Amino acid sequence: MKFGKRLKRQIEESLPEWRDKFLSYKDLKKLVRLISTTDASPQAEGEFVSLLDAEVEKFNAFFMEQEEEFVIRQRQELQERIRRAAESLRPSEAGYAAEMGRIRKDIVNFHGEMVLLVNYSSINYTGLAKILKKYDKRTGGLLRLPFIETVLKQPFFTTELISRLVKECEIMMEAVFPAAEEQVERREREALAMAEQSIFRNAVAALITMQELRKGSSTYGHFSLPPLILPDPDLLQSLQIPSPIPIQ
Amino acid sequence: MKQFHNRGIPMLVSSSLHVRPSPIEEKYPKLLDSQQALMEMELRKNSLAPLQNPLMSNNGVYGFSLSAAPVFDSDLHIDAISPHEKHTFDAPYISKLSDRNSSLPSTFSLYSATCQPSLNTYPEESAEITWRPESIQGITDYPDHVNLNNQIQENHITNPGDINKQDEWSDLTGLINENWRELLDDSDTTESQTKVIHSAVHVPADFSVQNSQTHLSLPSHSSELSNATGPSSSTNAAPARSRMRWTPELHELFVEAVKKLGGSEKATPKGVRKLMKVEGLTIYHVKSHLQKYRTARFRPESIEGMSTKITQIEEVSSLDLRMGTGITEALRVQVEVQKQLHEQLEIQRKLQLQIEEHGRYLQMMFEKQCQGIDKIKASANMDESSTQLSELTNSIDIREIPENDHAKTDKRSPGAGLAAEDSPQLIDRHKMLKHDSKIESNIVGGSYSPPSKRSRHNYVDLSATPAI
Repeated sequence: MKFGKRLKRQIEESLPEWRDKFLSYKDLKKLVRLISTTDASPQAEGEFVSLLDAEVEKFNAFFMEQEEEFVIRQRQELQERIRRAAESLRPSEAGYAAEMGRIRKDIVNFHGEMVLLVNYSSINYTGLAKILKKYDKRTGGLLRLPFIETVLKQPFFTTELISRLVKECEIMMEAVFPAAEEQVERREREALAMAEQSIFRNAVAALITMQELRKGSSTYGHFSLPPLILPDPDLLQSLQIPSPIPIQ
Repeated sequence: MKQFHNRGIPMLVSSSLHVRPSPIEEKYPKLLDSQQALMEMELRKNSLAPLQNPLMSNNGVYGFSLSAAPVFDSDLHIDAISPHEKHTFDAPYISKLSDRNSSLPSTFSLYSATCQPSLNTYPEESAEITWRPESIQGITDYPDHVNLNNQIQENHITNPGDINKQDEWSDLTGLINENWRELLDDSDTTESQTKVIHSAVHVPADFSVQNSQTHLSLPSHSSELSNATGPSSSTNAAPARSRMRWTPELHELFVEAVKKLGGSEKATPKGVRKLMKVEGLTIYHVKSHLQKYRTARFRPESIEGMSTKITQIEEVSSLDLRMGTGITEALRVQVEVQKQLHEQLEIQRKLQLQIEEHGRYLQMMFEKQCQGIDKIKASANMDESSTQLSELTNSIDIREIPENDHAKTDKRSPGAGLAAEDSPQLIDRHKMLKHDSKIESNIVGGSYSPPSKRSRHNYVDLSATPAI
């Protein structure tokens, strides 16, 4: 139940067009329950597997589409930035600052979206793993291991490319952003203001979710992940935004 | 084999099948001859399945171990993120009958399961022969089975008891021929599909989704795959559904081509595709990508035009007043959070992979045990026919193995992270010790009997294998 709630929250916080692309965790759980109460016949299992396959396909399709767009955008951001930098060297301070501000914002949001895609991949994987575990537990099957095998190789889980793009984006940002100043208080105030933005908000929610998911579970075992260790836990604490939408 | 190379021409497939069910038979012996050693080994591994049977509560589980076996053992490696096309090999020998709305019989998939390991050594072949198994269509109750699961296969369907035979090829060919005819007769009847499908146990093997994804980081690399998997969808041979995985390199080629053709507006998909010269890149891929590219370009271009006004009017006033260093700082915080999230995600992913790898490792150890037992039997009964051997395997309880037989102990040095490289050595060692030792056999899942002196010696031997 915990995961279900967290997933729901994640979905709510996510960008609108992403919302229906997540794992249908609740439905699958219901199905597992159904199968476990009735007979775990081969055909029931087959149907279950088919559903899972469909989910995976859904992830793949969405993921690859996003990936493609990011690839296009990444090149774009780079070009745009270069162009603007070249242009704006000449104009007055005002124009330059504004342009740079815009570019920075775009790059940061771009970075955020990519990270969120990785998060999307991760949370769906986790959901799948959990569902499979439930299935095995309830029906005494051995569906989990081989199925997860295949999932590991799926495009949506092989996020190397996106990670690479993220890193490149970070390098880009280093160049675009001026040297950091130590203004902690101001940072936090501004951060809260910024946190209203959907991407940022989503990222915060994702981190929190991840942290909580890994805090500890009742079924801790060989296949469970260790608790999350954040290098800067205070940062996250200061950014916790109370959710306006009540979570059932 | 070319005749089975289906490019979405339904009639060909069915007619070729109708006319000549024998090609299948032709194929199999060919394979068998060439891959005999490997196949035998694989099949022996597969024969461990019945041994596991009594221990599995769910009969369907049997299929999983079967499917697991080829995956684990084909390379005798624990290869967590092996980029092999192992899984793509499932596709080749399954025909695409989507056009007929008929799905594959379970036994056919079974055949592919046993076939799978042999395909490992024929990467080129498998690249060419890409099928789109349509068994899924029958399985799902979705009305539009056309697109939904057409890329997914469920290959490993078991038929407990029959699998152990090493000469099952002939059995299978018979079955397959039967089923082919049955299918072709029952074309377009969903009932027959469900009938056939529901009689089998489904094990999700490898997604042929993998096949349809084309990882074109470099031209001509895996592009053959994509080409053949292009028409992966069903009857109408709708525009290629196979997804292209665009990489920056590929995109760069694309942009270059577009530039040469005079820009994103002027460039046509056909022209771009020609210029890119990437094998396996269909026009549909290019088309959709071009569309995305155009919309992406449009945005900054329009903003560029606007920015001159907006910058001067709004942005100057609002941005400078409100933002300045403040916004930069806020952005910085945002980046921090995002970076952290990304870092954690990467770590998490690595952990997940490791966990699964470990799980596989454990599974492999488990199977190696049984495999060892089979090896003994096989080597001890060299001259016997395979059927006899498999019967033996079926009937003999491990405890009753006569003294000459031996199985290797599963005991390893505790915490030994024995790399997969150890396994071949172990097996060799095993053969060496065949006549010398009397290791007490380990019963699958059962308690270990205390090793005899001999076996301890062997145990030491085994553990002396340099751990990697």
